[in-house]
Amino acid sequence: MGGGGQDGKDDKDKKKEKPKYEPPPRPTTRIGRKKKRAGGTSAAAKLPAVYPTSRCKLRLLRMQRIHDHLLLEEEYVENQERLRKAKAVKDSTAPTSELDVNSSDRMADERGRVDDMRGSPMGVGTLEEMIDDDHAIVSSTTGPEYYVSIMSFVDKDLLEPGASVLLHHKSVSIVGVLTDDTDPLVSVMKLDKAPTESYADIGGLEQQIQEVRESVELPLLHPELYEEMGIKPPKGVILYGAPGTGKTLLAKAVANQTSATFLRIVGSELIQKYLGDGPRLVRQLFQVAAENAPSIVFIDEIDAIGTKRYDSTSGGEREVQRTMLELLNQLDGFDDRGDVKVIMATNKIETLDPALIRPGRIDRKILFENPDQNTKRKIFTLHTSKMSLNTDVDLEEFIAQKDDLSGADIKAICSEAGLMALRERRMRVQMADFRAARERVLRTKQEGEPEGLYL
Amino acid sequence: MAQDSDLSKAADKGKGKAVDNARKADDVQKSGEDGQPAANGKKADEKADSSEDLSEEDQQLKNELDMLVERLTESDESLYKPALEAMKNFIKTSTSSMTAVPKPLKFLRPHYETLTKLYDDWPLGDHKTSLADVLSVIGMTFSDEDRQDTLKYRLLAPTQDISSWGHEYVRHLALEIGEVYGKRIAADESTAELVDLALVLVPQFLKSNAEADAVDLMSELEIIEELPKFVDADTYARVCLYMVSMVNLLTYPDNEQFLRVAHDIYKTYKQYTQAMVLSIRLNDMDLVYNDFNDATDPAVKKQLAFLIARQRIWLEHPRDTPDDDEIMDSLANIRLPEHFKSLGKELNILEPKTTEDIYKSHLESSRVAGMTNFDSARHNLAAAFVNGFVNAGFGNDKMMLVEKDKESWVWKTKDEGMMSTVASMGILLQWDVENALDQIDKYTYLEEEPIQAGAYLAIGIMNAGVRLDSEPALALLGDSDKLNHKNPLIRVASIMGLGLSYAGSNKEEILQHLLPIITDTTQEMRVSAMAALSCGLVFVGSSNPEVSEAIITTLLDEDRRGQLTDKWTRFLALGLGLLFFGRQEEVDVILETLKAVEHPMAKPTAVLAEICAWAGTGAVLKIQELLHICNEHMEESDEKKGDELLQSYAVLGIGLIAMGEDVGQEMVLRQFGHLMHYGEANIRRAVPLAMGLVSPSNPQMKVYDTLSRYSHDNDNEVALNAIFAMGLLGAGTNNARLAQLLRQLASYYHRDQESLFMVRIAQGLLHMGKGTLSLSPFHTDRQILSRVSAAGLMAVLVAMIDAKSFITSDSHYLLYFLVTAMHPRFLVTLDENLKPLTVNVRVGQAVDVVGQAGRPKTITGWQTQSTPVLLAYGERAELEDEEYISLSNTLEGLVILRKNPDWDSGKQ
Repeated sequence: MGGGGQDGKDDKDKKKEKPKYEPPPRPTTRIGRKKKRAGGTSAAAKLPAVYPTSRCKLRLLRMQRIHDHLLLEEEYVENQERLRKAKAVKDSTAPTSELDVNSSDRMADERGRVDDMRGSPMGVGTLEEMIDDDHAIVSSTTGPEYYVSIMSFVDKDLLEPGASVLLHHKSVSIVGVLTDDTDPLVSVMKLDKAPTESYADIGGLEQQIQEVRESVELPLLHPELYEEMGIKPPKGVILYGAPGTGKTLLAKAVANQTSATFLRIVGSELIQKYLGDGPRLVRQLFQVAAENAPSIVFIDEIDAIGTKRYDSTSGGEREVQRTMLELLNQLDGFDDRGDVKVIMATNKIETLDPALIRPGRIDRKILFENPDQNTKRKIFTLHTSKMSLNTDVDLEEFIAQKDDLSGADIKAICSEAGLMALRERRMRVQMADFRAARERVLRTKQEGEPEGLYL
Repeated sequence: MAQDSDLSKAADKGKGKAVDNARKADDVQKSGEDGQPAANGKKADEKADSSEDLSEEDQQLKNELDMLVERLTESDESLYKPALEAMKNFIKTSTSSMTAVPKPLKFLRPHYETLTKLYDDWPLGDHKTSLADVLSVIGMTFSDEDRQDTLKYRLLAPTQDISSWGHEYVRHLALEIGEVYGKRIAADESTAELVDLALVLVPQFLKSNAEADAVDLMSELEIIEELPKFVDADTYARVCLYMVSMVNLLTYPDNEQFLRVAHDIYKTYKQYTQAMVLSIRLNDMDLVYNDFNDATDPAVKKQLAFLIARQRIWLEHPRDTPDDDEIMDSLANIRLPEHFKSLGKELNILEPKTTEDIYKSHLESSRVAGMTNFDSARHNLAAAFVNGFVNAGFGNDKMMLVEKDKESWVWKTKDEGMMSTVASMGILLQWDVENALDQIDKYTYLEEEPIQAGAYLAIGIMNAGVRLDSEPALALLGDSDKLNHKNPLIRVASIMGLGLSYAGSNKEEILQHLLPIITDTTQEMRVSAMAALSCGLVFVGSSNPEVSEAIITTLLDEDRRGQLTDKWTRFLALGLGLLFFGRQEEVDVILETLKAVEHPMAKPTAVLAEICAWAGTGAVLKIQELLHICNEHMEESDEKKGDELLQSYAVLGIGLIAMGEDVGQEMVLRQFGHLMHYGEANIRRAVPLAMGLVSPSNPQMKVYDTLSRYSHDNDNEVALNAIFAMGLLGAGTNNARLAQLLRQLASYYHRDQESLFMVRIAQGLLHMGKGTLSLSPFHTDRQILSRVSAAGLMAVLVAMIDAKSFITSDSHYLLYFLVTAMHPRFLVTLDENLKPLTVNVRVGQAVDVVGQAGRPKTITGWQTQSTPVLLAYGERAELEDEEYISLSNTLEGLVILRKNPDWDSGKQ
């Protein structure tokens, strides 16, 4: 934090002391070492944590105290900025304004020269090791490692082992640092646009909705409730049940409803071509989640990577298992993840590795069953609410039948019925359409085994 | 219902308690865990089709409730009672998930208006109150409309059993009581009924482990003094803990009242040590004295004596019985050196360390090795300081206390250096007065006057913190030969010695010696200022009128006018400030007087007095004032000489005021960043010092990281101060990372004599007492601010503001003011006869357990060690088993243990 207003005076001082011994530039103590996240100066900028977490005046007072201090800071900084501007105005009116033009010219000029030095195109490599203040070992993506020099205009505080660096195309010296080192794959997972499905679009599933909310949303919004009770909120839930019972739909509704960062990924995405890429992706996923906390991570079809471990000779198989091990570690490993909640969905919970769904990693297992009569009615009304139905349509008939229908099946029946009506160019869907649709859906569901075969 | 979306929900999190909760419950409920239609996104929808899609039980419940309401609207009075009873029953027996409003309440809600109308129509009687009872509960669902109906109907139904309606209801009621109370006070109406109701609620809260709510409610209604009536042996500890942790954040007079109430509760339950802690915090000598006398058990009394002695309060106690003797010894800290040395023995660190052990120059970067000029006087002086600090209190070393006099290190230094070198013996022999006097005696006869001066200073230093009946310091330093010696250095040394050894004593005799020196206009400013500072130390926080008058007179004195611009005047001002240390408003009189003084020194003096008065309070308003002072940018000119000091003091003051309270402590660190960024040189110089002041002996990474950056600042004085602050930060901790940073600095500044000197001092501080001492002014679980320690720190920091004219030039002996803050950070366990006792204790990081559910652990990540042990900043100890009972509540310093009568050793 060198003071800007300091420079003028310093220049004067330096002129006087020119012949005197000047200390060497300050050693950069930290460069070349892995920085601890949230350490150093950024930690100083963080606000203190407020305890106790229960609702009480003490907490209020502490929050107010922080607030007061922040107000003071704001006031001070505002005043100083104003003074600085006033001073700048005063200074600029007196001397010439040419200087400004000159300096901006010079800036552009210098920037241009730096760009020249950087050259183009630049290679991208990884910093392996810092040797001293201006030399390092880098590896380029093509393989070989080089001992190269670091250009003086590179911000050395940003350099840390593993960072992506820009390399000059000929001399391979480091000419820049790429700061954002998360995989673009991960940022894709972040949900920018919330899905349109809300809780209102779910028929039934009250029990499941409540459980998910209790274990995912409430801990993020009102951690104090859990603190008061003296319990740790659940870390994650797994949704399981037969296909088409609304697991993904519920996750979409959660995403629609929450203001937390919602990251979604499908289990199969975590299987990558190269060794180590899958685990790395998992790590980065949770890193992004922690950076954007509070956040919810939704992993669909977890059985793609989460199957039971067994002795396998296939390398691909082992890689999948390693990816799961990384996931295990991220879920309940050494580092505390803070405000990150995990939702997983699968329809084969029995194949999952027991370590993955043990309490502490996944605290709640929520079963999605095929709808009962009541729920069926709700789902039917939900799907038919926007259809134009003929007066003879009586959905009770389907509801009363003891077909093993899932939510998805019901949806299929409704749209199938609609399609039938469309085929015959009718504007209204009739009961007959529904009956035919049901037949078709059930037939395809039973894998071509006609229902009435043995009747 | 309160469908105001998730947004508002998050936003008004801090707004209130029950409101928040009720609203959240409403909110969550809309998603329909209870069989609402799926399409109930909008409020209107909900009402319209709420009848259709309810599950059967819900529908039945709704019908029944509708019927009950119906019945109430009919004219048949005989049906009212059963109807109301049934309704109550429904409400009370409904269980619900925590995310939803109970169903009966939900179904009754639409009828609320009908019922209120009914209530207005009904004649007085049992039914009416019974209805009010029900209305009060339903009213809870209207909490966000600012109606306070719950309370309104509760007051109309003077009922019995509030808690049967559930905890959430009671909480909600408490919230509304608070709101209405505020309104009524503003409107000047009677609040008696509210208070009565609150007094009904408080026992409920206490019973259900919600002591925070009880205290909050009572403080809201300003009836906190009633609290002792309600607490019992099970609840008092939690209640008091909660109250005490709130004190720092309250304003006067609430804070004092809280402390007093908590004190009374502790006293009632015979927790004398905790009561004493609060008395000391209140700075109420009568209370301290009473607490001390009320404890009848001699062992408890001894324990209290340790506590009082730690705070350096001079309390007299008759020596009638052997027990009394021991109590008096404890009060006088006589056994301190003994215990300290036994700690050293236990930790195997009695072997003296040389300066090379500290510098570890073989680890410094190799290119500079051999280039340093090894035998320079300044280098040797630094070595003397380091040697003194490192071997402090152990009474042996390899430089000063050597066999042959001629080999003593003194001869390797010159002028004032000799004084500081001899004085370092005082630190080496600290507390152990009887042995030390012989060793120092010979130096008083040498003819070199700086050496004599050093010897006198050493006598003062070693007496700091202990008290002998023979009063050697007063006898040796108080005689007029020395106080009127022709050499000002000897005068200064004697005065300083007196100040150090009697710091915090309030001893009137000192006044006779020092007051004339302050007012004597023929004295140099240096001598008078030192006398004022010593008086300030002796009478720290006493607002002694004689001293303050003397100092003010000096400031007003015409003859002195010319001298006031002297660099030493600041200590005159500091002396004045220290008198009012922690006195808060009382300082205003002095501030008014100072306004009348026209001299430029008056303003800085006023600021200094004010920051001392508010030290450790965390008062945000004062910090704001100080920031305003820092707002201006000074043009450097001669006529505004004092103003630069003004801002420097203001910066120190921000640290001093904020240091008392955890939140503020962290927040000012951010503030310092801004000050460093925008401030002029004078502010920037003070910032590192203030950072050091905020966390002495507490090496936090984020602080020393920042300081290490400042230690390479372009402005050499900023760098000097940052280096010193790093020493302060790590004082007595042996922190390896700081040690490494300082070694790097040593090689970086190897050609800059002044900076190198400062690095050496910092290294000495870091390894102070071989890592057994602490400079932190807070003790007894960081509850009490030791005024004497803080005063000593302030004296050094004020000198450091202008390091180049004091510490790094020839007044380095000012560093010895640190000894008032030096105290072993040990835990020594003693039996009831004050014999050392070895027990196993667990030492770990302290955890803030205020307001947590259940019985949380107070420490985390502990290790089991056997006493005596060292406690680092923020660490706490607890006994491993229950074989002994500690008489003190906090295991820190000297603690007396008593055998547990219920302990069964066979059980193990």
